[in-house]
Amino acid sequence: MALIRWNHTRDLPSWPSEVFGLQRDVNRMFDNFFRGGLQDDSTELSAWTPAVDIAEQKDAYLVKVELPGVRKEDVKITLESSILTIRGEKKQDTETATENYHRVERCYGSFQRSFTLPTTVKADRIEAVYKDGILNITLPKAEEAKPKQIEVKVK
Amino acid sequence: MEDGKQDALMRRPEDALQRVPVPPERIVTPVADLFETGDAFIMKLDMPGTAKECIHLSIESDRLAIRASVAVPHPASAHVLFSEIGHKKYLREFNLGDGIDRDKIDALYEDGVLTILLPKTEALRPRTIPIR
Repeated sequence: MALIRWNHTRDLPSWPSEVFGLQRDVNRMFDNFFRGGLQDDSTELSAWTPAVDIAEQKDAYLVKVELPGVRKEDVKITLESSILTIRGEKKQDTETATENYHRVERCYGSFQRSFTLPTTVKADRIEAVYKDGILNITLPKAEEAKPKQIEVKVK
Repeated sequence: MEDGKQDALMRRPEDALQRVPVPPERIVTPVADLFETGDAFIMKLDMPGTAKECIHLSIESDRLAIRASVAVPHPASAHVLFSEIGHKKYLREFNLGDGIDRDKIDALYEDGVLTILLPKTEALRPRTIPIR
């Protein structure tokens, strides 16, 4: 049995889904507004949702994803028309899955997160490093997206 | 004394300028799994972003305390657009029962997961009693 992270906007079975669907859309609209166009597109296909941080530097976007206990072979990152998708699976250790459990708080199963990046990035220069349970993705900005200083001559 | 006071007042505006906004640090309770084998209890805690050197395990009377610091997530020059991880440290405490051999507790940090091995004392281990 897969454990599913409780999400109050999604998982209450006694409420009609369209009510929460609408609420979710409204929440997302507000979230997107305050994030200045950066969109978290969908987490609905996930059994759990890893936490994400995104920061912008002059020449790159830095994305951090918390993936404790996920093997790097089980993570897939794709960029498709400025939508960055991180998906994968957290597998339960086979040797421990059959043991006598007292407490299970950690989440297992598939995850997926997508973000629409506000400007174009150099798709062929994206780098990802996995260390200590954190996936660090560096997305260098394309030349046209970098801030430019233009000198205007006063006549 | 008079001069000292004046000096402190003069310095105050400068101090205000030097104050760098520090993101608030949260104390997070890491999620844990606990399971049992014949010889031991095994605990696994999700603690991404820390390092072996930054984790402190301590036992005081019957309390096992797990503390860890986490590096600041982004360089100071970066503009944070989206933050769910933020700046945090980990803290969690457990009560240890009598059946755990405190001297043989072992821990391993790998891929953001802390695994703590809590061996059982002889009294708690399963035994079979031969029939005479």
